[in-house]
Amino acid sequence: MITVGMDLGTQRVKAVILKNDTVVSRGQAFSGFDPTKAAEQAVGEALKKANLKISDVAYFVATGSAMEMAPYANSTVSMMGADAKAGVHIFPKARTIIDVGAEEARAVKCDKKGVMVDFVVNERCAAGAGAFIEAMARALEVKLEEMGPLSLKAERASPINASCVIFGESDVVSLIHRQESKPEIARAVFDAMADRISSMVHRLGVNPDVVLVGGVAKDVGFVASLKRKLGVDVLIPEFPDFAGALGAALAAASRAKEGQK
Amino acid sequence: MDWEIIGDILRIAVLAGLGVAGILAILIWKRNLATRVTYLRFVIQAVSFAALFYVFTYSIPLLYVLIIVFAMTIVLGRLYCGWFCPFGFVMDLIVLLRKAFKIRYRSLPDKLNKILHQSRYVILLFFLFLPVILWLIEPPPDFNFAVVMAQLFAGPFRPYSVLLDPMIPLVVPWKGPLVVNQINLSYPYVQDIITYAGQNIGQVIAIAFVGLTLVGSFFVRRVWCRFCPTGASLAVVNRFKGFKWAPLLHIEKDEEKCTKCGVCKRVCQSQVNDVYEQKGGKINTSMCMLCLRCAEMCPYEDTLKVKLGNKTLFKSRNWLEPSKSE
Amino acid sequence: MKSEKVEKKYMPEISRKEIDELRNSVKTASQKIMAENIERMKKADPNRPEVMKYFDEIANLFGQRQKEILAEKEKGKKVIGYMCLFAPTELILAADAIPVRVNSGWYDTSKLGDRVVPVEVCPVIRSTIGAKMIELSPFLELSDALISVLTCDGMTKLSEILSDYKTIWGMDIPRVKDSSQSLRFWNDEIKHMKAQIEEFTGNKITRKSLKAAIEQTQMATKAFRRLQDLRKGPPVIMGRDAMLVNQTYLWDDKKRWTEKTEALCDELEKRVQRKEWVCSPDTPRVLVTGTPMFWPDNWKLPTLVEEANPKGIIVADELCSGERILNDPVGVDEWSMDDMLSAIGDRYLMASTCPCFTSKDGNEDRINWLINKVKEWNVQGVIYYVVRGCMLYGMEYTRIKKALDKINIPVYYLDTDYTREDVGQMKTRVEAFLEMLTARVDF
Repeated sequence: MITVGMDLGTQRVKAVILKNDTVVSRGQAFSGFDPTKAAEQAVGEALKKANLKISDVAYFVATGSAMEMAPYANSTVSMMGADAKAGVHIFPKARTIIDVGAEEARAVKCDKKGVMVDFVVNERCAAGAGAFIEAMARALEVKLEEMGPLSLKAERASPINASCVIFGESDVVSLIHRQESKPEIARAVFDAMADRISSMVHRLGVNPDVVLVGGVAKDVGFVASLKRKLGVDVLIPEFPDFAGALGAALAAASRAKEGQK
Repeated sequence: MDWEIIGDILRIAVLAGLGVAGILAILIWKRNLATRVTYLRFVIQAVSFAALFYVFTYSIPLLYVLIIVFAMTIVLGRLYCGWFCPFGFVMDLIVLLRKAFKIRYRSLPDKLNKILHQSRYVILLFFLFLPVILWLIEPPPDFNFAVVMAQLFAGPFRPYSVLLDPMIPLVVPWKGPLVVNQINLSYPYVQDIITYAGQNIGQVIAIAFVGLTLVGSFFVRRVWCRFCPTGASLAVVNRFKGFKWAPLLHIEKDEEKCTKCGVCKRVCQSQVNDVYEQKGGKINTSMCMLCLRCAEMCPYEDTLKVKLGNKTLFKSRNWLEPSKSE
Repeated sequence: MKSEKVEKKYMPEISRKEIDELRNSVKTASQKIMAENIERMKKADPNRPEVMKYFDEIANLFGQRQKEILAEKEKGKKVIGYMCLFAPTELILAADAIPVRVNSGWYDTSKLGDRVVPVEVCPVIRSTIGAKMIELSPFLELSDALISVLTCDGMTKLSEILSDYKTIWGMDIPRVKDSSQSLRFWNDEIKHMKAQIEEFTGNKITRKSLKAAIEQTQMATKAFRRLQDLRKGPPVIMGRDAMLVNQTYLWDDKKRWTEKTEALCDELEKRVQRKEWVCSPDTPRVLVTGTPMFWPDNWKLPTLVEEANPKGIIVADELCSGERILNDPVGVDEWSMDDMLSAIGDRYLMASTCPCFTSKDGNEDRINWLINKVKEWNVQGVIYYVVRGCMLYGMEYTRIKKALDKINIPVYYLDTDYTREDVGQMKTRVEAFLEMLTARVDF
C-alpha cells in the first residue's frame, strides 16, 4: 500500500512517499505564495522519483501550517501529532520530539506508540526558530550554512538577548561594533535559541530519548548548543526536515488500514 | 408494680407510634429540603422529652437510662445531645422564640468557644470529684464503708448524678421541687449547685446559672452545650483509643466537591469549624452534636454525607431542587 | 451628558464627532460579529432548541434588552452596573434596581484603551476603558452607578478611570478568603454597600425584599444547575449555546431568564429521552478555564473548539463569565436581616474560586472545583485560556497543571490577546490538542 504525507510548512513543502512503512522517495518545493501549487510540485517530484502515479496512492494526509490548502488530501493531522509519529517511527525509544522549523518551534511528549501526550509551542515569536538564525546570519554577513561550523570554533559565547528577532539583530550589530569575534557571536545566537527551546522542553519534562527534527536540526551549531543546554544527547534522523511529512504519511497508512477494515 | 411497668411500656409504645406518625407527617408536609431535617429533629426531641417524662415519673432507675445513653453514644456519637436531650430541646424552643422576634443570634468568638469546649472536661472532673473532695473536707464522724458507698452511689453525692440527674427537674417539675423564695427552680443542675454550694451561695449561683443559660441561649445558639459536662462525658466515651472505630455515626466530607462556601460553618449551632476546615474524610470533633444541619444546608450534592459505618444515611443535596423520589 | 465641564483624571478629551464616528464603526462591526457568531452557532447545531432564539435576542447587546432597561429607567428605576461577580446582586435586586455586568468583550475597543493604559494591561480592562471612551457599551452607559470590586490590579485602577464618568463604589475584597478577620471585613463591606445602595436608590432594603431577591437568585441557580446537570451525559447542547445562556444572565431580567432556562431544560430533557445528541457521544469533552470570555467578540475559543477538525465539545467551564456566575446559592439559615447579609457575604467571598484569592492552602478550591468537574462531567481535556496581561490566571497555571497531571488529564495553556489575527495560530494548537484527546480515546 502506498501512502503520501505532505508537510506544508511556512518556507518549504515536503512530501514523503511510503510503501508498507518504508520511505520510497521524498520531494520538496518552496512554498512561495501558493502552497497548493508547491505541494503539487513536491508530490509530483517524489512520485517521479519512485516511478508512481497519483492513482497508485491509497491515502493522502497533509500537515503543516498551510495544511488546509493541501491538494489531494484525504485528511489532516496536526504538526505535533505528525512529529510524534515520525520520531517514534525512526527512533522507537524516543519520548520527546523537538521540532524546530523556520518560524515555529515545538516540543512534543509522546508514548511508545507514537501518540502525543502533551505539547508546547513557542509563543508567537520567531526568536526560537530558523528565521532567527537566518536574520542573524544576515547581520553577521555570513552564509546560513556557514553559521554552524563557524560557531563551533568559538570557545565562549558573547552575551546576547534573544527576546525578539528584531532586537536580537540590533544586539548582534552592536556586538560587531564592539569587535567581538564572529564565531563567538554565532555561538551566542545558537545558545540564545537553544536556551529558549530548552526552557520550553523543560516545561514538558526532558524524557529521553530526545529527538530533534525540522530544518534547523541540520545546523551543527544549533545541535551542539541544544545538547549543551539540555544536558542529554539529542538524536537526529537522516532527513530531519522531512519528519513532518513522514509522520503524515504514517498517519495516512494507519488511516488507510482503518478504512479497509 | 408489674402493672406500672406494663403501663410504662404501653405509654412509650404509644409515644413511639406518635413519633413515627410525626416523622411521616413532616416528611409529607415539609417539601422544603432545607428545613426538613430540622423539623424532624423537633418531632424526635418532643417525643424524647415525653418519653423521658415517663421514665422519670416512674421509678425506672436512672443508672439504666444512663447506661443506655452511653451505649448509644459509643455507636452513634453525641446523637443524644442533638436529638434527645430535653435541655437541648428547651434551648431549641428558645431559638424558635428568637426567630419569631426576628432577632439575630450572636456567635461566640472562636477562641472562647474552643476554651469553653476544653473547659467542659474540667467542669466534668470537678463535678465527679466534688463528692470525694467534700467528703475529704468533712469526713463522716465514723468511717463506715456501707455509708460511704451509699452516699457515693445512691445519695446526693453519687458521681453519675451529674450526668443525667440534672434533667429530671426540667422534665418533671414537681418531682423533688426546689422552691427558693417561692420560685420553682425546676431547672437542670440547680439542685446540684445548691446541694454542693450550700443554700445561700448556691441560690445566687443557681439564679445566675438559670439566667446565663436561658438568656444566653436566646442570643447564642445552644450556649450550654458548649460546656455541658454531660456532653463532655459522652464525648469522652468516643475518645478512648479502643473506641477509635466509634462513633459509627459520623459526618463525612468530600474534599473535591466542597467549594468552601462556608454555609456549614455558619449554620452550625455549636459553631463547629471542623466541617468547614477539615480537608475531607471523616469529621473528627467531639464538639459536633450531629444535629445534621450542615449536611442539610450544604448546597452541593453529595459533599457532606451522614454515615453509619459504611452506609450513607443522608447526604447533602442540591436543596434548591425538589427531590425526585417524591 | 452633563453640561458642566468636569476635568477628567484619566480619560483623554475626545471630540463628540470622533466619539460618534468611532462608536458607529465599532458598533456596526460588533453587530456583524454578533450575527455571525449566532449564525455559526445555529450552523453547528441544525436542530438547535427553539428557546435559544430568546437567548439570541437577549444576546443582542443593542437590541431588546437595551430598550427594556431604558424603559424601566424612565419609570424611575435605577441601573447599577458591576464589574466583578463579587458585587452582591441580591442587594441591588432587593432595592428594586437593575443589576448589569459591564465588562466588555470588544476587541476593537481594547486598542482604544491603549490610549489610556499601557498595552501590557489585561485586555478586558483596556476594552472596557475603550468602550467607555466611545460610549459603546449599552449597559455601561445605562448604569447610574458602578460597583467595582477591587479584585485584581486591573479592576482597581479601572474603577478609578471610570470614576471620570460615573459614581463608583469600590468594594475592597480581602485576598485571604478563609480567615475570620477577612470575613468580618467583607461583611462590613456588604453592610456598607447595602447602605449605599439604599441611599442611592431611595428604596429601603427590607427583610422581605431581600428575602425575595435571594429566593429569586436561588431559583436562577436551580435552573442553571439543571442545565449543567444535563451536560453531564452525552452532549445534548453545544457548549457555546450553554455558555451564551449563562452569560445572558448577567444582563437579563432574572425572573424571565429563569423561566426560559427551565424551558430550555425541559426541551433538552426530552431530547435526552429521545437520545438526540448534538454531536457524536465520542466527541472529546473539553473543560475551559481561565480568563473570562465576554460576548460578543471574545467568542473565539469556544467557536474554535466546537468547529475544529477533529471537533470538541465544551461540557463545563470554570469562568467568571460562565458557570461561576450562578454556581453557588446564598444559603440562609435564619431569615433575619443580619443572617441574610452574612449569608450573602459568605457566598460571594468564600465560595469563589477566583485566582485573586489565596488561603491557607493557596487557591485550593479552584483545584477541587476543576477535579470535581473533570470527574463528574467526564472531561477528557482542559484548555487553560489566558489573555496576555492576566497575571493571576497565568501564574496559577503551573499548580493546576500539576494537579491535573496527577489525575492524568491533559491541560493545554492557550494564551492569546483581544485580536482576531491569531485565530489561525490558535486553531493549529486547539486542533493539535483535540487530536491528542481523540488519540487518547482511541487507544
